[in-house]
Amino acid sequence: MNPAHRARAQLLAYAVAVMLASALSTPAWLLAGVLAALLLAGRQALVILRRALLATLAFSAVVSATYVGHVWWLTATLPWDWLLTVNLRVLLMALLTFLFIARVNLFLALGFSRRLSFLLVLATSQALALRRTLADFRLALHSRTIRPAGLRARYRAAARAMAWLLDRALANAHESAQALQARGWFE
Amino acid sequence: MIRVDALCHGYADQPSLIDVSFRVEAGEKLVLLGANGCGKSTLLKILAGLLAPRAGSVHYAGAEISPALLKRGEARRRFRREVGLLFQNPDVMLFNPTVYDEIAFGPRQLGLADADARARHWAAAVGVERYLSRPPFTLSGGEKQKVALAALLALEPKLLLLDEPAAALDPRTTGWLVDFLADLPVTLLTTTHQLALAGELGARALVLGEDHRLIYDGATDAFLSDMERLVAANLAHAHRHRHGALEHRHWHAHEWP
Repeated sequence: MNPAHRARAQLLAYAVAVMLASALSTPAWLLAGVLAALLLAGRQALVILRRALLATLAFSAVVSATYVGHVWWLTATLPWDWLLTVNLRVLLMALLTFLFIARVNLFLALGFSRRLSFLLVLATSQALALRRTLADFRLALHSRTIRPAGLRARYRAAARAMAWLLDRALANAHESAQALQARGWFE
Repeated sequence: MIRVDALCHGYADQPSLIDVSFRVEAGEKLVLLGANGCGKSTLLKILAGLLAPRAGSVHYAGAEISPALLKRGEARRRFRREVGLLFQNPDVMLFNPTVYDEIAFGPRQLGLADADARARHWAAAVGVERYLSRPPFTLSGGEKQKVALAALLALEPKLLLLDEPAAALDPRTTGWLVDFLADLPVTLLTTTHQLALAGELGARALVLGEDHRLIYDGATDAFLSDMERLVAANLAHAHRHRHGALEHRHWHAHEWP
């Protein structure tokens, strides 16, 4: 199959899989989906599972803890079924996304649309630049800590890096929009 | 003080440094020149023990350094205290709630009794004492650069690695920085691609070429007056000059941002 057609077919398959994952409400089916995604990942399964867990951990933990607290306060019971369903669904969607990004050339997949390709180029260039700076934040903390950095220093450095990234991402997005406007994008 | 032997480094399949070797004696002030992307920042990060070379070695004060050797213990404490790296983007170095805390961060880690005096002394030395209670991220780019520099100096390092320290500074502050660095009793290695500053920042120049190899190691003045070498390092350019009706074109190495 032509590489571009193959990438587009994979994009379609990914979109269908994500919609299915959002529609499933039985923990057993969601667990089967997670196992299937890991099987598809092959040798990369552990790396992709780790990425998906790290990416969803904070969000899932906060949502789960809040909902469990709420249900416990009202009924003095634990919503095990809900917890399993929601967390497996989030994990499955993250796994599918990381698997898709690892396997598919996004530029080929979105090649059918000039506008989507432009947006992908903009997003990728921003992400690469921000990733370089994020690496510098980590190295700078390392270079300034005489003993291995303590928790307080790590939290402060991480918070500062996140705040900087948000500021920079907003400023970059604003500049990109201005550049697109200057080149007639919104005409 | 520093010995670099046959150093090689790369990012994925792209080389960033190839077979770089040089020595630096204690007290020397050197300038590291090169066009954008030739590996200047990478070299400083390797010298600071933050990145591991793919091949070759770096010795500081007789001991080989690498990120693995600097993970913990006395070697790490000594090295981090004696070697400071000023990043090109000062934002990445500043994470404490106030300028005072930022400058006192290093001395406090060492449990130094005079941490407060050091913080105030170096804040005054770089001219940021009026900002001591302000969060560093609210300062201008030049002020952040000064705070980051003061935070390094508060540990009284022996070797300072400065990555494009004048990039975010206005002309007046750049003049101040040149004088300030000239008076510092430390070994200095400063990167820049501003040729007008090169002679002021170090009497000896190391020049990285676009092929990521060290193409010059010698007197800065001699390099700056050698147009062939400047062109080879992509540190000189040619364009048309118009003088009324007369138009001509030649290589030259004037200032560019």
